[in-house]
Amino acid sequence: MKLKADWSFLRDAVRKAIRRLEEKDLTHAEAFFTYAKTTEVTIRNSQVLTQNRVDDSGVGFRVAVAGNKVGFACTNVMSQEAILEAGEKAFSIAKVSSEVPHFMLPQGSSPPKVKGLFDPAVAAIEVEEAVDRANRAITAAEGFCKRVIAKDGRFLYESEWRGIMNTSGVDFEERGTRALAYLGGSGKQNGEVTSSCYDLMLKRSADLEPEKLGENVGKKIVDLLNPKPLKSFQGSVIFGPEAVSYQLFDVLTDALKGDAVFAGSSAWANKLGQTVASENLTVIDDALLEGGFASRSFDGEGSPSHKTALITKGKLVGFLHDATSANALKMRNSGNASRFPGGFDMIRSIVGQGYRTRPEIYPSNLTIQPGDKTRDELVSEVEEGVLVESMAGFPQAGSGVISAQLSQAFFIQNGEIQNPVRGGMVSGVAFDWFKKISQIGNDSKRFPHAIVPSLLVEDVKIIGA
Amino acid sequence: MKILEDCLQSEMVNQADLVQLRGQRRRLVACTIKNGVVNDFSSISLSGGSVRALVAGRSWGFSSTNLLDARNVEQMLRHAIKLAKASLKLKHEEIALEPVPVVKRDETTPTRKPLRDVPMEEIVEIPREAYRGAKEVGANVADIKATFMTIEDDKFFLSSEGSRIHQSSTRVLLFVDVLAKRNARFCPASENLGHTGGMELFDKTSPHSLGKTVAEKAVRLLDAKAPPAGKFHIVVDPTLCATMLHEAIGHPLEADLAMSGGGFGNQMGQPVSSELITIYDSGHTSNGLGFFLFDDEGVECKRTNLIEKGVLTSFMHDRTSAALANVSPTGNAHAWDYSVEPLIRQTNIGIEAGDYSLEEMIEGVEEGLLLEGTFGGQADVNADFTFGFQNAKRIQKGKLAEEFQGANVAGNAIEVFKTIDAVGREAILRPGACGKYQFALQGRIVPAIRCEMMVGGAGGR
Repeated sequence: MKLKADWSFLRDAVRKAIRRLEEKDLTHAEAFFTYAKTTEVTIRNSQVLTQNRVDDSGVGFRVAVAGNKVGFACTNVMSQEAILEAGEKAFSIAKVSSEVPHFMLPQGSSPPKVKGLFDPAVAAIEVEEAVDRANRAITAAEGFCKRVIAKDGRFLYESEWRGIMNTSGVDFEERGTRALAYLGGSGKQNGEVTSSCYDLMLKRSADLEPEKLGENVGKKIVDLLNPKPLKSFQGSVIFGPEAVSYQLFDVLTDALKGDAVFAGSSAWANKLGQTVASENLTVIDDALLEGGFASRSFDGEGSPSHKTALITKGKLVGFLHDATSANALKMRNSGNASRFPGGFDMIRSIVGQGYRTRPEIYPSNLTIQPGDKTRDELVSEVEEGVLVESMAGFPQAGSGVISAQLSQAFFIQNGEIQNPVRGGMVSGVAFDWFKKISQIGNDSKRFPHAIVPSLLVEDVKIIGA
Repeated sequence: MKILEDCLQSEMVNQADLVQLRGQRRRLVACTIKNGVVNDFSSISLSGGSVRALVAGRSWGFSSTNLLDARNVEQMLRHAIKLAKASLKLKHEEIALEPVPVVKRDETTPTRKPLRDVPMEEIVEIPREAYRGAKEVGANVADIKATFMTIEDDKFFLSSEGSRIHQSSTRVLLFVDVLAKRNARFCPASENLGHTGGMELFDKTSPHSLGKTVAEKAVRLLDAKAPPAGKFHIVVDPTLCATMLHEAIGHPLEADLAMSGGGFGNQMGQPVSSELITIYDSGHTSNGLGFFLFDDEGVECKRTNLIEKGVLTSFMHDRTSAALANVSPTGNAHAWDYSVEPLIRQTNIGIEAGDYSLEEMIEGVEEGLLLEGTFGGQADVNADFTFGFQNAKRIQKGKLAEEFQGANVAGNAIEVFKTIDAVGREAILRPGACGKYQFALQGRIVPAIRCEMMVGGAGGR
């Protein structure tokens, strides 16, 4: 099989480069390398737009020389010469770099087995099959209600090898597959267009369900028809899983990153062991979850994966670490060095992910422990408030300040949903909201790096349009 | 790129109506200084190719690879044709592409201070200078991140219609982000420089002065209160105007988004904006981050007027959308790199300058706000937007009063642009970026504007 032969060539060439680097005057050298094939069908304006196939492979070297000076270089030119040259380049950059305090790479300890990360059916997917599923998702969404327009979407099947080697004995590889379906749409009524709604399906196996995806999107859009303006008030807000997975997740993640804790820029830098949230809130990072979208047996620098308690009943009990931040803070490495982090980063957007960048600290599957209340039960407990399924905008870095426009939200009065809202914002500090979580739903949903339920937060500032 | 030329001679090409091949070599250097330490110093060397094939006049397929040998390039062509055929039975609309001129060009964007002369030892000093400039501002500067980046591109375009285009360019960028902190109070500020060209980027603004300016702003804002919330008469500075223009007006003017309903769809020839507003897109804007002579379908990226004195005159098109709309392509098909398919993208979008000085715009406001700087944001295709601004100043009876921290503005851009009652007389070139399905670096040519808009601050009015 060609893929296997190409992978073997890459691995052997990388091994040779690591051996060559070992002979130099350096303290650490590491290579992260991948070989991936992606088949993707895109949807635009109610149609299958195009079919793409992307093959990509490459290797990124990190080298540290005396004084913890670190350099990085990568290449996707798959010749022994180019790969050796990239290793050399990382070494020469390290020499003109400056100290990364407490820089460390993992020692080679064997990673655990994580189940459900590879499905041969994803690797063998035929494009005709992907086109068929994409088309069925469009039909299901637009068949749900004639006002629904399937605006954009994608069905993506990826098959990947990833490998890591370093000069401290790390030498691991893992094969994985991912299948992702996304569909976004909006509704037209009386010349007015609703906000965009989307639904997402993330799997390690090929069994994406296009009808379910399409119907979910259709239902979300129909629920938004006939919106009314919202008044300004202070009330309860139910943040649905999607709303939690963006802004609230970002604030939580930024405060939990070990490097930010060490630098003192995390709002929770000095709060380990203290209560930082409502006692209803328990958060773990679980890279071992069977079939989890971000599950893996080792992280982006070869540290074994773990399940890590972060917040237990409102008390801060742990942080997200890579080898360097764990070394700096003298804590256990949680294995959160990520080569495919989420969130927006300008540099990563320009250079790319995976072998093209050094790793950074990011959650694997950040999991908020679900409660026992259904969505309807949460709504029934709200006297006056808003259900926010989705909101637009970014939290302010560091401070946790969120002022977000409501893009998919509903007014609640006397324990019942009254109407969808047009416009309006919620505003406040997410760290305060975490302390005011009164209930948690049992409706957890999967996102690329999060598995989160609805959160009912009391006393939130709601600004009408 | 002989290997791509050979591929175009393959018999398989005859199975397609049109085959477009692209090849690229890209070299990036990125150096980030975070709190005085080299946080990232990377050299990225990439190459690869892609093929796009139109089959049976109705369906496109696309395939790319980083393995540019004869076996993989041939496989790439086979994949593209197979992929195109895979959706044929769903495609009923004919894509009758307008013929475009056959272009044979070899172009290198001129630079005054080329990158090739800059050694690694000097590169690391650029973000370090920005860091020093910020650090000097004082103890309240808690977190400083400065990133310097260079991008060298060699792009090749070959088509079965006969075009052979080689474009070579360099781009240089500097990003500075500062977080000021006092007690438990945080305040961020950021600013970027970037252009297509060489190290002459720093002739006007040195890295040191950029770092200092950003840090001074972050520290100054620590003492500022949150801005009032509500609808105001607002003067928008060029930086925030650039974000609004690109996200909330530019995107709905891209043909693929315009055709998806809402926004500007079906309003061609109609007044859609204040008559003070003329909006255009031009790949030929010198030094713009979106400077391109030709797009990734080999179409020249000339200036296109999109809105003239408030009237909608054109969308931005690639060849396919132009064929479907029965107009000529506008040179807006761009791919971030070889590995992805070209999409309809802005190059350098601009608003024609007006008659007002900033002082005159402020003088005309009885009670309102001046908003400055951007933290980016989001816009829907129906032109609903939320953007973050970095700081604001109260305007009272035509004069600037106290300063506020940043917050968000929200609204519908089409509605907001109808309320524009003044346009600044100086349009400046700003660096920009966009993440529509794939990344892009773009330019924006923007003056200050005055309009009515909703501010969502944390404080009361």
